Amino acid sequence: MTLPIQSSVAAETGNPSIEPGPQEGVDVEVSLESLSQWQLALRRFLRHRMALVGLAVFSAIILIAIIGPIVAPYNPLDIPGARLEGGDPPSLQHLFGTDDAGRDVFTNVINGAHISLAVGLFSTLIAGIIGVIVGAIAGAAGGFTDNLLMRIVDVTFAVPLLFLILVAAVFFGQGSMIALILVFGLLQWGLIARLVRAQFLSLRETDFVEAARAVGVSNLRITFRHILPNALGPVIVVLTLLMASNIVLEAFVSFLNFGIAPTEATWGNALSNSQGAMEDGNWWWAFFPGMAIALTVISINFIGDGLHDALDPRARL
Amino acid sequence: MTQYIIRRLLQAIPVVFLISVICFFLMLLAPGGPQAQFNQNRFVTQEQVTVWLQHWCLVRNPGPLDILREYGGWLGVWNCQGGSLLSAHGMPNFLPAFLGGGDNGMLHGDWGISIYLNQPVLTVILGRLPVTLLLMTTAWIIWLTLALILGVIAAVRRYSLFDQSVTLFSYTFYSLPTFWLGLMLIEVFAVSLHWFPSQLIESPRISPGPFASAIWWQAFWTNPGLYGWDVAMHLVLPVTTLVAVSVAGDSRFVRSAMLESLNQDYVRTARAKGLGEGRVIFRHAFRNALLPLITNGALEVAFLFSGAIVTETIFSLQGMGYLFYQGLLAHDYFLLMGIVLIGSILVVFFNLVADVAYAVADPRIRYN
Amino acid sequence: MSTVVDLNGESPAAEGRTVGPPPAADVLLEVRGLKTYFHVMDGTVAAVDGVDFQLKRGETLGLVGESGCGKSVTSLTIMRLVDIPPGEIVAGEVWFDGREILSLPMAEMRKIRGADMSMIFQEPMTSLNPVFTVGNQIAEAVKAHRPVSNREAWNRGVEMLAAVGIPAPERRAKQYPHELSGGMRQRVMIAMALSCDPKLVIADEPTTALDVTIQAQILELIKAMQERTGAALLLITHDLAVVAETVQRMAVMYAGKIVETGTAEDVLLDPKHPYTQGLITSIPSNVPRGQRLNVIRGTVPNPFRMPAGCRFEPRCPLVFEPCRDFDPPLRTTDLDRRAACWLHYPPSERPTVSDVAVPSAPVRTERVGKR
Repeated sequence: MTLPIQSSVAAETGNPSIEPGPQEGVDVEVSLESLSQWQLALRRFLRHRMALVGLAVFSAIILIAIIGPIVAPYNPLDIPGARLEGGDPPSLQHLFGTDDAGRDVFTNVINGAHISLAVGLFSTLIAGIIGVIVGAIAGAAGGFTDNLLMRIVDVTFAVPLLFLILVAAVFFGQGSMIALILVFGLLQWGLIARLVRAQFLSLRETDFVEAARAVGVSNLRITFRHILPNALGPVIVVLTLLMASNIVLEAFVSFLNFGIAPTEATWGNALSNSQGAMEDGNWWWAFFPGMAIALTVISINFIGDGLHDALDPRARL
Repeated sequence: MTQYIIRRLLQAIPVVFLISVICFFLMLLAPGGPQAQFNQNRFVTQEQVTVWLQHWCLVRNPGPLDILREYGGWLGVWNCQGGSLLSAHGMPNFLPAFLGGGDNGMLHGDWGISIYLNQPVLTVILGRLPVTLLLMTTAWIIWLTLALILGVIAAVRRYSLFDQSVTLFSYTFYSLPTFWLGLMLIEVFAVSLHWFPSQLIESPRISPGPFASAIWWQAFWTNPGLYGWDVAMHLVLPVTTLVAVSVAGDSRFVRSAMLESLNQDYVRTARAKGLGEGRVIFRHAFRNALLPLITNGALEVAFLFSGAIVTETIFSLQGMGYLFYQGLLAHDYFLLMGIVLIGSILVVFFNLVADVAYAVADPRIRYN
Repeated sequence: MSTVVDLNGESPAAEGRTVGPPPAADVLLEVRGLKTYFHVMDGTVAAVDGVDFQLKRGETLGLVGESGCGKSVTSLTIMRLVDIPPGEIVAGEVWFDGREILSLPMAEMRKIRGADMSMIFQEPMTSLNPVFTVGNQIAEAVKAHRPVSNREAWNRGVEMLAAVGIPAPERRAKQYPHELSGGMRQRVMIAMALSCDPKLVIADEPTTALDVTIQAQILELIKAMQERTGAALLLITHDLAVVAETVQRMAVMYAGKIVETGTAEDVLLDPKHPYTQGLITSIPSNVPRGQRLNVIRGTVPNPFRMPAGCRFEPRCPLVFEPCRDFDPPLRTTDLDRRAACWLHYPPSERPTVSDVAVPSAPVRTERVGKR
């Protein structure tokens, strides 16, 4: 019995196997494979419920950071004096209460948002840019360059990073926001560099890079067209988480009075001011700025979680 | 293996050296300088200041070359008294004293003076170690146990209500700033409820002296219940703060390590053999999940010694973390250098311990 | 779907199930209407969608199909090793040795697994636990089912290693999986699977991960061990050559269903289903030198959008009227031969009453090409 099966591709296979071989470009149905990698990632992200909630909350926080100072009910520079010695507890006039000088905590939280977010965002960007460059150079160049760069990264890993950040913040930061951003960024790129390098090393061995090399694509082009975009997925996830941790770090450094000048409204400074107040039972000084930090960080972490699920190459179906 | 360890230890030397350079220059290049700090300390006489400045070859408004000299003095390569690389005996200064080397600097066991406390750095650090170790090991044991239990159950009962609760809990606490949690605990349990003390490690009214001092130990042995209980009560809130935050991160880590392991083919093989679920989970899956946990755990040990800066500060516990905070406030150069150096050595050392432990636990890895 | 990982020994399928009558006594394994679905992020995948087959005592059966056709999931379902969730055994019965095992409590099922029914997996590298010695892992299987001492279990392990042709078994037993070659590791897996004298051995692509030179040796070993122990063998493979050499009967699977069964000889020499025909004509050695190789055009259907009718319809060169709307059940064509294709139904039994048009392949190709 002969069958009218159309032969289309001459495949040389070692043994009589019926694994789907190279097929002619006939797509029977619109399949998942016809979507690009980024479209797929977007689809998966949109299906991640907690990540969407995180995104919504975080967008709201950014919006508040931008328009907040305009709509804030009180002028942050007003010091009207509080009715009670330790500040007024939350009321209808002051939703989050006031501090001992009568400054509205709600206004403070809203005004603190943009500095806290800016420090988190820009320090992470700096760490990300340096990390990607160093990691890409190390991963693409290999050999001596790779060795040297990775030893430098090792150093940044051997330091109790928090100690060094604090030392740098105290001796160099001296209350400046830009200095603080630089300190965070310049001391934290090691992790990113290591990640990018690892990605490069594993992607270099993949079939599509082999294929590109086989058809004579230049090394530079392979690095930037083929490897880098594929290496970015995990990097984006880690950068998201790093941004969350940098927002906490800013609050932490400011809380210890080594961060941004106490005259500026940041969440960390608001908490720092509240240290004595806690012992007097004036919980609202610290509670609301802390909640603002927690909410921001949780929402970013959820976004990071969604990105992780969306960009993880192993989760590809 | 021995060879591997030796090689790693040798590799660690330049790393620690580089860190000390970075830290030293970071501090001394900044405006101010040690002399200003010496002058601010009213317990220090002018003669002492002169002696120290000479001993450490510190100068006012140092240029880059001066800082290099100061660093050499701190390290013990430079002979500050003689102003050269040679010791008073005419030998290279970095050699040990019995070989004719100098007597100043780290290499000769001289960690310098804490300007702020007017005591040798090493004495100060050793004095703060008991509180930190007590606080951190207590917290570490509790959080590790909790993280293991929660993480393993969450992984085994993946997507169950329990798993989702643990996830929610860990996300929340992982995102909370430690200091904020500490402040809230103080507010609720110390200020409002008066259940636990919020400051210090011992009650001044009860304790005859600072925790772990000779007088304290003497009193402790006469009445362990009273003094032990006193310290335990003081530990509750700081330990809770540390545990809550650390369990959050570590339980996620245990969970993902365990999930990774449960998804492996050999777990399916173990089930296919007809083994009970308990044996599959603990003998086959958990044994493999332990490998990444070992690395994580060893690195955490490194940080047990350096203490918890925020927790110790909030609760006024006289440990390493609080010491570092005080040192930062006072720009206490040699003290900060000492702490950073100890911290770095510990991190490097426990990195090595982690790798060796990993090799012992995983038959696939053999270092040559 | 409330059950998470089964720790309590409760069967997820046990409640309120009614099962049919047991099969004849000489039937060791009978699978009836088995459906295993997976609920994943992007929807539900019907990995196994109504599978029926039988395996007599001591018989060898090959389950053949492309990757993703559900053959591995079928075997994992029989072993009750499918993770629930995301998997779900939606329907069906599995009769093993006179018992319906999908209804068994997990504790009972564990007594069967590894003892009466055991499995050899595809990847010997990852299927052995890297942190235990191989002797230890075989002994563990023995200890799980036999009341023996550790010493006896270990000795049984060494004995089994010798039986599967591993030289110096005492020394090898003390080694870790990574210290053995791929072929050695697969021998260890076979030794482990046979250590408790099972009645059924399921081998899931046992040679796929191995070097070509080793494959034949391992197949020989499996065949020899099967003959020596008299166990029935369910061999799962995508490799028709393996089937031809190893088994008596075979079943061809496509997209979650069995499309053809019969003796290996009959099916390979005279395939009834267009899919099987396509498979066989695409074997390179069947095509004269210089001539283009036959391939089955198109791809396996998207698991989320299965064709409404016959699952092979979009790719079938012989497609005609009923195929698009009606899925053909298996039908006995000859003695001990069954195929699921409307071509083998008399016109009166085809679901649409109409003229049976002879399909015109070129038109068909054009249509597919436009999509």
